[in-house]
Amino acid sequence: MVTRTFESRVTYRINPELMDKIKKLGGVGISKCFDCGTCTVSCPFSEELGLEPFPRRIIKYIKLGLEDRLLSSLEPWLCYYCGDCSDTCPKNAEPAETMMATRRYLVSKYDFTGISRIMYFTRFGWLIAAIILAGIAFIIGWIFKGPIVTERVELGTFAPVDIVDTAGIAVLVILASILIVNIYRMYRFTVGSLKGISLSKAFIELIKIVPLHFLTQMRLAKCSFREYWYIHLMIFYGYGLSFILFVPLLRLTLTNKPFLFVDPLSIAGVLSTILLIIGATLAIKGRLEKKTHVWRYSHHTDWMFVILLFLVTLTGVLTGIFRTLGYPLPTYVTFALHIVLVTPFLALEVPFAKWSHLAYRPFSIYFHRLKTLKEGVVL
Amino acid sequence: MSSVRGKVLVIGGGIAGIQASLDLAEAGFKVYLVEKKPSIGGRMAQLDKTFPTLDCASCILTPKMAEVPRKANIELITYAEVIDIVKEKDGFRVVVKKYPKYIDETKCIGCGICVERCPAREKLGAPDEFNEGLSTRRAVCILFPQAVPRKAVIDPNICLYLTRKTCKVCEKFCPAQAIDWSDTEKILNLYVDAIVVATGYRFVDPRHPALSIYGYGKYQNVYTNIEFERILDSRGPTGGEILRRSDKKHPKRIVFIQCVGSRDYRINPYCSAYCCMASIKQAVLAKEHEPGVDIVILYMDIRAFGKGFQEFYERAVKEFGIRFVRGRPAKIVEDPNTKNLIVYYENTLKGTIEKIEADMVVLALGIVPNPPDFMKRLGLVEPDGRVKIKDPSDPIATPVEGLFIAGMLAGPKDIPDSVAQGSAVAMRVMQHILRRKVEVVAT
Repeated sequence: MVTRTFESRVTYRINPELMDKIKKLGGVGISKCFDCGTCTVSCPFSEELGLEPFPRRIIKYIKLGLEDRLLSSLEPWLCYYCGDCSDTCPKNAEPAETMMATRRYLVSKYDFTGISRIMYFTRFGWLIAAIILAGIAFIIGWIFKGPIVTERVELGTFAPVDIVDTAGIAVLVILASILIVNIYRMYRFTVGSLKGISLSKAFIELIKIVPLHFLTQMRLAKCSFREYWYIHLMIFYGYGLSFILFVPLLRLTLTNKPFLFVDPLSIAGVLSTILLIIGATLAIKGRLEKKTHVWRYSHHTDWMFVILLFLVTLTGVLTGIFRTLGYPLPTYVTFALHIVLVTPFLALEVPFAKWSHLAYRPFSIYFHRLKTLKEGVVL
Repeated sequence: MSSVRGKVLVIGGGIAGIQASLDLAEAGFKVYLVEKKPSIGGRMAQLDKTFPTLDCASCILTPKMAEVPRKANIELITYAEVIDIVKEKDGFRVVVKKYPKYIDETKCIGCGICVERCPAREKLGAPDEFNEGLSTRRAVCILFPQAVPRKAVIDPNICLYLTRKTCKVCEKFCPAQAIDWSDTEKILNLYVDAIVVATGYRFVDPRHPALSIYGYGKYQNVYTNIEFERILDSRGPTGGEILRRSDKKHPKRIVFIQCVGSRDYRINPYCSAYCCMASIKQAVLAKEHEPGVDIVILYMDIRAFGKGFQEFYERAVKEFGIRFVRGRPAKIVEDPNTKNLIVYYENTLKGTIEKIEADMVVLALGIVPNPPDFMKRLGLVEPDGRVKIKDPSDPIATPVEGLFIAGMLAGPKDIPDSVAQGSAVAMRVMQHILRRKVEVVAT
C-alpha cells in the first residue's frame, strides 16, 4: 500500500496489486485497454440514472490502483454483463470481463469473514470447504436420522421433520445474518452515511426498490442478450418455489405420504424442478459452448455454482421420483445426498460467492438511489 | 540499348515508384514502369494539399510525373498488371498482362474530344474512381487532367459499342483515328535483373461490420477522408466547394473521427501513421474554405512525429480554432429529417459521455499494404497484410534476392518518406545489379 498526497490535499491510497488481483479474478484484458471510451458509449446502462459512465471508469480505477474508489463504486453492480462493450472494444480488452471480475472482487471485500476471499482466490478452496460442510451435514444427519422403514416409503420417519426443520431454520438464520452484515458493509463502503436523507424517506425507497428488482430483475432485460434474462428468471423462480416448498412449508412436504402429482404442493414441486433443470442445463450448456459473453469466460466459482445447483436439483428430483414410485431405500439415499449437497451449496453460495448477488444486485440499485438523494452528491 | 547497365522492373506508378524509376533511369538503368491504372500518379494525384506545409500536391507530383515519359530509359506500361515473376539464373522473367485500351496509344493525342462526345454518361456512365465515386465518368475517359500518359481509355463494361454494338461516336470525332476496336488483352514477357514493388496501399473497407457503428454507406453525410479530400480539391466533383451529399448545402459543423480501422484488433492492429496529420490538414483546409465552420477532431492520440508536424498541430488549435477531443465514438445516429448526425462519445479526459450534432462526419480510414497477388503466392505476405522483409533493420529488401519494396507497401508513411524510400530502393537495386557484374568481371 502506497499513500500519496496530491496538491489538492486529497489523499489517495494506491494499491499496486489491485490490477493483478482483478486479473486473477478474470479481468483478462485490462492491460490492453488504451482508454478510448468506446465501451462507455456502447453500454446500454451507462448514461441512465445520472451515473458517471462505466465501464472505462472502473477499468481506470483498477489500472491506477485506486482501491477505495473501486470499493465505493456501485457501477459494477449496475452492469448486467450483456457484452456489448466487449463486442465493440477495438483492443480485445474484454471490458465486460473486467466488470465481472470486479464484482467477484467486491463480493470478496464485502464479506467480513474472509471465507469469500478463499472461495475466489484459491482454486480448490471451495471444494475443500464444500467437502467439510457436506461431512458435517452427513454426520449430523447420521446422528439424528430416524428408523429406516423398508416396507414402504416413510420419508418423514427416516428424516424427522422437527429436526430437519430446526436445522434448516438455524442454517437460514446464520446465513441471513452473515449476508445482512455484508450488505451493511456494502452500504458503508458505497453510501457511507444517511446524512441528508430522512430515515422514513430511505425506508420508503427501500420498499419501493429492493423487492421490485429482486423479483423481476427487470434491468437485466435491457441487455441485448435477452434469452439470458429468461434463463435467469427460470432459475430464480424455480429456486424460489422450491425454497418456499421445502423451507417454510417443510412440515407439509416432508411427510410419510407418497409425493403424488395430484395435490397443489406436488404440482408446485414438479414445476419448480422443471424450471430449475431447464435453467441449470441451459446455463451449463452455455458455459461449455462459450458463444455469448455471459458464458465465454467461466471462473471456478461460476462452475462451482452451476454444478452444485445441478446436483442439488438432480438429487431433489430423484428423491421425488423414487418417493412417488414407492422405492424406500433409493428415496432415503437420494434424500440424504440431497441434504449433504444442499448444505454446502447454500452455506457457501449465499453469503460468500456468486449467489450473494441475489442481495447485492437489488441493494445496489437502492444504494445508488440513496447516493443520488444525498444532497450535493452526484455519483 | 547496349549502354544500359541493367534492367529493372518497377511495379506501381505512385510517388515512390516514380521516384525509384527516375533515379534508376538517371543512373543509366533500363526501367519498365508498370502501372495498373491508365495513368501514373497513384494516391498522391488524388490529394489536394500536403501536410504540414499545405503545398499543392499536384505542384510537387506533376513535374515528376511529366519527367517519366521524357526519360528515354523508362518504358512506361500503363493499364497493365504483373501477374507472375519467375526467378531465372541472373534475374527474373516477368509476365505482364496488358489490358485493352481500345485506343492506339501511339496515335492518341490526348485532346479529349472523344470524352466530350461520349454518350455513355450520367446513368449510362460509371462511378469515377479518381473522385472515389463522388462523380460519374463516361465510357471513354482520361483519368484526370494531368494524367501521364495523357491518353484516353475505353471502359468495355459500359461502352455502348462494346456492349451493344451501337454508337462508335468517338471513332467519328477522333481527329487522330486512334480508336482501335480490335484491341485485345496482351501478355508480355520481360527479362529484368531486379524488381521494385511499390504497389502502395488500400483503405480499410468502411463498410466492415466492426465499423458499422459509424454508419458509412447508411448515412449519406458520413464521408471517408479520401472522399473529403476530393471534395476539397478544386478539380474535384464539387469544384472545391464543401457540399453535403444529402442536400448540397455547406456544412456548419464537421466532426473528424480518427483511428477508424486502425489500432483495432478486429481489422487492423497497427497505427496507420498518416491519418492524424491528414485530418488536421483537412480540418485546416475546410476552415480555409469556410471560415465559419466548427470543426471537432475526435482523436485517440495525436501522433505528430515528422518535421513541422507538431507545430502544424499547434497552429490548427491556436490559429484555426480546431477543437481536439480525446474519445472514440461508439455510436452515430442520423436525424431522419435534417440528415444531420449525432455523434456519441466519451470525452475520456473528463470521463463524461457527450454528444455532438454534426452536419458532416469524416472517417480517417486506416490503410493496409496492397501487395500484388504474385507476392502472396510466393509467401511474402504476413498474415496481417504486411510484406515480409529480410531483416527488421532493412525495411526495403524482401527475402527474395533482387526483389525490393518501397513506399506505403513497406508500411504506412507520409509523402516525404515515400519519396526517400523510392530513392533508397533505387540505390539498393543499383548495388544489387552492379555488385554482381563486378564479381563477374573479377573472376
